[in-house]
Amino acid sequence: MSDRLAKLADVIVGYSTAVKPGDAVQIEGNPPTTPLMREVYRAVVRAGGHAACSLVVDEAQETLLNDGSDDQLEWVPLDRRWNVEHGDVWIVLDGPENTRHLSGVDPGRMARWIKGREPYQRRYLERAESGEFRWLLCGYPTQASAQDAAMSIDEFAEVIYGAAFLDEEDPIAAWQAFGKELDGVRDLLETKRELRVVGVDTDLTLGVADRTWIPSKGLRNFPDGEVFTGPVETSVEGTIRFSFPAIIRGRHAEDVVLRFEGGEVVEATARRGEDFLREMIGMDDGARRVGEFAFGLNRAVTEYTGSVLLDEKIGGTVHLALGRSVPGTGGENDSGLHWDIVCDLRQGGEVYADGELIYRDGAFLDGAG
Amino acid sequence: MRDARVDKLAELLAGYSLGLREGQVLRIDGEETTIPLVAALYRSALARGALPYTQVRPSGLDKILIAEASDEQLSHVPERELSQGEEFDAWVTIWSSSNTRALARTDPERRRQHLAAQFRLVNRRWERISAGELSWCGTLYPTQAHAQDAEMSLADYEDFVYGACHVNGGQDPIEHWESVAQTLTARARELDGVRELRIVGPDTDLRVVVEGRPWIPSDGKDNMPDGEIFTSPVETGTTGEIYFAFPSVFQGDVVEDVRLRFEEGRVVHAEASSGQDYLRALISTDEGSSVLGEVAFGLNYEIDRFTRDILFDEKIGGTMHVALGGGFDEAGTQNKSDLHWDLICDLRREGEVYADGELIWKAGSFITEVAAERV
Repeated sequence: MSDRLAKLADVIVGYSTAVKPGDAVQIEGNPPTTPLMREVYRAVVRAGGHAACSLVVDEAQETLLNDGSDDQLEWVPLDRRWNVEHGDVWIVLDGPENTRHLSGVDPGRMARWIKGREPYQRRYLERAESGEFRWLLCGYPTQASAQDAAMSIDEFAEVIYGAAFLDEEDPIAAWQAFGKELDGVRDLLETKRELRVVGVDTDLTLGVADRTWIPSKGLRNFPDGEVFTGPVETSVEGTIRFSFPAIIRGRHAEDVVLRFEGGEVVEATARRGEDFLREMIGMDDGARRVGEFAFGLNRAVTEYTGSVLLDEKIGGTVHLALGRSVPGTGGENDSGLHWDIVCDLRQGGEVYADGELIYRDGAFLDGAG
Repeated sequence: MRDARVDKLAELLAGYSLGLREGQVLRIDGEETTIPLVAALYRSALARGALPYTQVRPSGLDKILIAEASDEQLSHVPERELSQGEEFDAWVTIWSSSNTRALARTDPERRRQHLAAQFRLVNRRWERISAGELSWCGTLYPTQAHAQDAEMSLADYEDFVYGACHVNGGQDPIEHWESVAQTLTARARELDGVRELRIVGPDTDLRVVVEGRPWIPSDGKDNMPDGEIFTSPVETGTTGEIYFAFPSVFQGDVVEDVRLRFEEGRVVHAEASSGQDYLRALISTDEGSSVLGEVAFGLNYEIDRFTRDILFDEKIGGTMHVALGGGFDEAGTQNKSDLHWDLICDLRREGEVYADGELIWKAGSFITEVAAERV
């Protein structure tokens, strides 16, 4: 176990965030991630960086969200501000102790909390886009996430470490090779003007003309494996039904169906959590529009686990995000929300680009990706 | 199960030690073992309208840094810390260890280098504390490691710690500490007029000149638990011999049965039954390390035993302690040193203290009650 952790730490410090001597590196995570955090700290020290570690106290966050005044909810702690303005690298280890610990939080209060953080969110994404700042979200197996996946922790760890290519002799070389495959998908998509996604209860059209497709190669998410863009904000038309539950910050909606007109959600239904879905979509103007559309391309991830970091990478799926666009895609949607929702296309799904069938049953027809 | 004493301690820290007010930024520092107290303190601070945030680190990072960092990394004072340190209004350090000897085998020179970098950061924060811009409190969260050092079970050690903080039921903790503050302040004002103390005990007869040096009550604002009054002696005025029955711990290393002889303020002879070389090395750290920077009375009678942790040991009711090395500016010290090593002298059985020839302390307590100042 500890060997694998050291290997994982080497990949995320040496490849994903490429820590250089003198870099100010913030490492953050939930308490269960402590063993990995120590290894990441060690790898940063060896790379010559200056590491600071911070374990997130879930109970404190619960207290704030349940009992804080508006001012307290919107206040952003000093370490977070410094990191966003001056830090070089920010590594977040995602290993929850209880994925539903915020289930009881009032959605309006959650939205206010998110709103306070929005300027900082925007700032670090801008700095990341200009190359001044590198951030990474890295999955870590815990009992809680294994439970969501209906697996034992060892089984769940295999999913994460498999998706991370940690059992390859040289994981960094494996990521570099996979990155080239993702570049192939980008090359295929970048000339297209319009995509049409067809599947079960799904027929959705998105304009992508002059938008940039970005291959996601393990630099900001780990594990990784998707190619994404920001669709033209007013272009999305039609209906999509998401086969997998839509999860954000410990809350979820199941069997979500969205209907779009002129780029905006005009109808949103869910078998469970419909109020929550509407609350989220109603957060601000941008929350009704699509900020991201992507193909999941990591073939080592085959099963839905309830962990968005993994689910959106499942080879043979597409996902879209309601809310904020990702800088660099050409997307211009602004919102406090960025909610990835995944749609499985492995059985009968099709994607047409400018009228031509390019993808069927979860794979590109030309073999790209 | 939540321990109600942790919630009470958090309330005491927020409400009394720091006196948190609405809008004040509070930073809470600790290792992962302290999370129950961090969470409770966060709640108390939030309820007072403050803006708390937490810096909880995994244990074991210092070991990695000392073992693997370059000299440049080891001496680095992080800008993120310097910058935040200018902005928060209140700061709590929760000491807690999952292994108090984890650094025992690291290279002492590299440890010193690491500590020196930390001191540069801490010194700047002390400037803000002295200027009244920042309130700080250091406390301890009980763990198996601390219980082991104290030779107790964790349950007994928790009783000991929370008893020393007066959060284990009975009197309202804030009322208790307010009354302690009054008593200690009154005692300090009495001692302000004293020219010379003479401490007499087993193998001990030491004269310490304290003329003109103000006595300062430690009343639970900067430490929790607390309970001492201290000053910095006149640098040339210490003469005689003192024996320390408790082991003397410095950064985890132990020296036993320390005996010191002073002439004109300076240690002229030092011996110990074990750790004598280390003792002599510490005393010769620098010019100021053979001179007393502190003399103090330990007055927390809930702390009735030695537990190898200076936060508690220096406050054992009925003891006195002196520190070799740097003194306190607010007590008028002239002595500068990188060392500040507290050594504890047990006076509970046979000890006597004379102030300008008059007996003021016998067998572990002052012989007169003080008239508490009315506030």
